[in-house]
Amino acid sequence: CCPVTAGLSMRMLNFNTSPLKNTAAEPVWKVLIYDRFGQDIISPLLAVKELRDMGITLHLLLHSDRDPIPDVPAIYFVMPTEENIDRICQDLRNQLYESYYLNFISAISRSKLEDIASAALSANAVTQVTKVFDQYLNFITLEDDMFILCNQNKELISYHAINKPDIMDTEMEAIMDTIVDSLFCFFVTLGAVPIIRCPRGNAAEMVAVKLDKKLRENLRDARNSLFTGDNMGAGQFSFQRPLFVLADRNLDLATPLHHTWTYQALIHDVLDFHLNRVSMDESVGSEASPSGARPKKKNKKSYDLTAADKFWQKHKGSPFPEVAESVQEELDTYRAQEDEVKRLKSIMGLEGEDEGPISSISMSDNTAKLTSAVSSLPELLEKKRLIDLHTNVATAVLDHIKSRKLDVYFEYEEKLMSKSTLEKSLLDIISDPDAGTPEDKMRLFLIFYITALQPPSETDLDQYKKALLETGCDLSSLNYIKQWKAFTKIAATPSNYGNSGVKPMGLFSRVMNSGSQFVMEGVKHLVLKQHNLPVTRILDNLMEMKSNPETDDYRYFDPKMLRGSESSTPRNKNPFQEAIVFVVGGGNYIEYQNLVDYTKAKPGKRVLYGCSELFNAGQFIKQLSSLGQK
Amino acid sequence: MAVDITVLFKASVKTVKTRNKAIGVGFDLPKEEIFKKSRPKHGFSLKAKEVISNITKLKDFLLQHRKDYVNAGSLISSDLTRMTDNERDQIDQDAQIFMRTCSEAIKQLRSEAEKQVIPTQIREHRGAVLDLIEIYLRGVCKLYSEQRAIRVKRVFEQENQRLVSEMSNLVDEVRQIEGKVVEISRLQEIFAEKVLMQETEIDSIHQLVVGATENVKEGNEDIREAIKNNAGFRVWILFFLVMCSFSLLFLDWYDS
Repeated sequence: CCPVTAGLSMRMLNFNTSPLKNTAAEPVWKVLIYDRFGQDIISPLLAVKELRDMGITLHLLLHSDRDPIPDVPAIYFVMPTEENIDRICQDLRNQLYESYYLNFISAISRSKLEDIASAALSANAVTQVTKVFDQYLNFITLEDDMFILCNQNKELISYHAINKPDIMDTEMEAIMDTIVDSLFCFFVTLGAVPIIRCPRGNAAEMVAVKLDKKLRENLRDARNSLFTGDNMGAGQFSFQRPLFVLADRNLDLATPLHHTWTYQALIHDVLDFHLNRVSMDESVGSEASPSGARPKKKNKKSYDLTAADKFWQKHKGSPFPEVAESVQEELDTYRAQEDEVKRLKSIMGLEGEDEGPISSISMSDNTAKLTSAVSSLPELLEKKRLIDLHTNVATAVLDHIKSRKLDVYFEYEEKLMSKSTLEKSLLDIISDPDAGTPEDKMRLFLIFYITALQPPSETDLDQYKKALLETGCDLSSLNYIKQWKAFTKIAATPSNYGNSGVKPMGLFSRVMNSGSQFVMEGVKHLVLKQHNLPVTRILDNLMEMKSNPETDDYRYFDPKMLRGSESSTPRNKNPFQEAIVFVVGGGNYIEYQNLVDYTKAKPGKRVLYGCSELFNAGQFIKQLSSLGQK
Repeated sequence: MAVDITVLFKASVKTVKTRNKAIGVGFDLPKEEIFKKSRPKHGFSLKAKEVISNITKLKDFLLQHRKDYVNAGSLISSDLTRMTDNERDQIDQDAQIFMRTCSEAIKQLRSEAEKQVIPTQIREHRGAVLDLIEIYLRGVCKLYSEQRAIRVKRVFEQENQRLVSEMSNLVDEVRQIEGKVVEISRLQEIFAEKVLMQETEIDSIHQLVVGATENVKEGNEDIREAIKNNAGFRVWILFFLVMCSFSLLFLDWYDS
C-alpha cells in the first residue's frame, strides 16, 4: 500500500493532478501546511529533499505562527477537527496565501464544511479556495506492506486502553470508532472491499462488526459510494477480493516480548526507532568512561531509513551477522570504486606530461571512464553516506547485543517457544548479573510463563520471583499475565510456536566473519530457521482455506452480500491471493518479518500487515506493568 | 482514493449565502467586490515568474531546433532543414548569452531578497523558490550541453571519417602506382633482352657493311681499269678497223 499512499501524496502535492515526470518541467512552487497527523503520515514517506523536488518551498505546522506569503498556493493536509477548522478559517480571514487546496485526512462533516464556507465568504476568499478533497488517508504507511494507525494520541487506542479492567463502554466505543475509521480509510485507499474474518469474543470481533457495518452502509449509498468504478484504484483490476484477518493481541503475548535477531526488529528493540527514523546517541570521543565519571557529551543523531536505501530494503529482514558481513562487503566495493576514481584522477593529472605514445593511445578510453566516474560521483557519495549510516547503526546494535548478551536470550526464548529441551536453567540466566538488563530478564521470564504448558509450582514461582526481585525487576506485569492466562482459552489450545530452533552458523562462515570490521567474538552466530508465529499460522489457515480447530469458528463477514451475513461458513472456496492482517491491540516488527518471510515462500501472494500501534518489548512491558498494578 | 468535494464546498457556500440572506446577516458587498479583488502582485513573484518564462522560452527554442541541430543524419532530410555550422554556432552563442543573463537575474533576485527586511518564513520561501528556479535553469542547461556534446562528438566523428577516407584514398593510389611501376620494370627487362640480342646482329651487319664497302671500292677500281682497258681496246680496234679500211682502199686502188 505504500506505493499507493506515496503516489497519492505525490498527486496531492501536485494539486491532485498527475505529476509529469518531465526532466525539465517548469517549477511551480507551493507551501505545505499540515497538522501533527499529516506530519506523521508524510514523514515516513517523503524526505525534505523530495518535498523540495516537488516544488514545496516551505512546510509548516498548522498551529504555528505563519507569515502571509502572497502569490503562493497553499496545500493543507489536516484532520477535520474543530481547532484545525478554526485555524483554517483564521488563515482565510488573514489572507495568508493566494490560493488554498484543502485536503482532509478523513472525511469532513457537512457542518464543518459550512464553517469554512462562511469564513471564506466573510473574507471574500471563496474563489481562492480552489479545491477541497477528502483524502481518506487516516493511517500511516511505514513500508510497502505495513501500516499503523495514527501516531498522535496513540495511548487512546493502546493495548493498555483496550484491555484495562475498568474500561467503560463509552470509552470502548470511542476506541472502536477510531480504529474503524482508519481501517475504512485504508480500504477506500486500497480500492477494494475485503472479506473479513475474525475470532470470537474479543476486541477484534467488535472492530470487525463495526467495520462491516460501515462498509455496508457506504456500499448501499449508491450516490456517494466510495467503491464505485470512478473511485476505484488499484483494487479495480484484481479479480479476487482480498482477505482481511483481524487478530487480537491477546492471542499471542509472547511475540511482542521476544528478543529478536533480524536487523529491523533489532533496531526497533534496542534503539529509538520511530516512523522509519532511528535516533541514537553518538558519543564524541571513544574512550570508555570509567564508572562514576561523567560520560562524554553525546550528540543525538537521527537517520531516516527509507525505501530509497537499497541496502536497508535488502537487509532489513536479514539476521544480524549477515547484515554485518554485508556492510563490510559494501564498504569494500565502495573502496574499490573510490580507488578507481582516484586512479583516473592521477592518470588525468599525468596526462599533461609527455608520457609517450602509451597515454595517448589509451586517452579516449580514459575520457569515457572519467565521464562515467564523474557522473557516478553523486551515487558514490550517497553510497558512502548509507554505508556510514548502517555502520553506525549496526555498531550501536552490536554494542547492545554484546553488553546485554541478547543472543543468549534469543536462543533461550526460541527454545522455550518451540518447547525444545533447555540446556541452562532459567534460574541461572536470571541470576546471572552479566546477562542483560532487568527488563530483559523479565521478558524472558514472562515468555517462560506464557509458553509453559502448566504453570510452575508455587515454590518454583517464589524462587523465580525472588531472583527477579534481586536483579531489580518489576513484577507487576507478571500479575497481569497471570490474569490473562486465566482469562483466555490458552489452557485449551496451548499456543504453538511451531518447530523453531536455532542452529549455530557453520564454522566456515565464522572464519569468514573474523576478518570483518564487526568483531563478533563471543557472540553466537545464530541462524533462524523458518517457523510460523501464531499470527502467521492463522493467516495461513484462513488464506489457504485449511481446516484447523483454531480458526474454524472464526466469524465471516462479506460487506457486499445483500443480507446480513451471520453465517460463519465461508462462501469462497478458493485460496486468497491477497490478504491484510491487522492486529488489534498492537503489533511489532517480529510479526511483520515473519509474515514477510511467509509471503516470500509463496510467490504470487501478497500480504499486508497492520496494527493499531507499534511497540517494542520495553514499551509493551510498561503497558503490562501498569495493567498489572490495577 | 481521494474524493473531490469542491462541488460540495461550493454548494455549502451557496447554502451559507442564502442562510445569511434569510437571517439578514448580510455581507452586503457591492457586486464588483464579490469578484476577486485583484491583489497587487508583489515584485518578487512577478520577477521570479518572468525569469521562469524566459527560461521556458529558451527551453522551447532549444527543443524546437534540436532535431535540426543534432541533424539526425537521415539521408532523406531535405536541404531546407539542414543547418549550417554557422547557424549552429549562432545558436550556441545565443543560448550561452541567454543562460548567463538568466543566472545573473537569479543572482540579482537573491541579493535583493537578502537585503530586504522580511520575516523568516518569507525569506526561506524565497530562497527555496530561487533554488527551484536554479535547478530548472540547470536542467535546461543540461539539455543544451547534451545537444552540444552530441554535436561536438558528431564533428569529431565527421573529421575522423574524413581522415579515414582520405587515408584510404591515398593508400589506394599508392597501390596503383606500385602496380604500374612493377609493370614498367618488367617491360624494361624485356627491352633490355631484345636490345642485347640486336647488338650481335648489328655487329655482324657492321662487319658485312665494312666488307661490302671494301668490295665496292675494289670494284670501282676494277671498273675504272676495265673502262681504261676498254677504252684502250677500243682505240686499237678502231685503228685496226681504220687500217683495214685503208688497206681495202689501197688494194682497191692497186687493182684498178
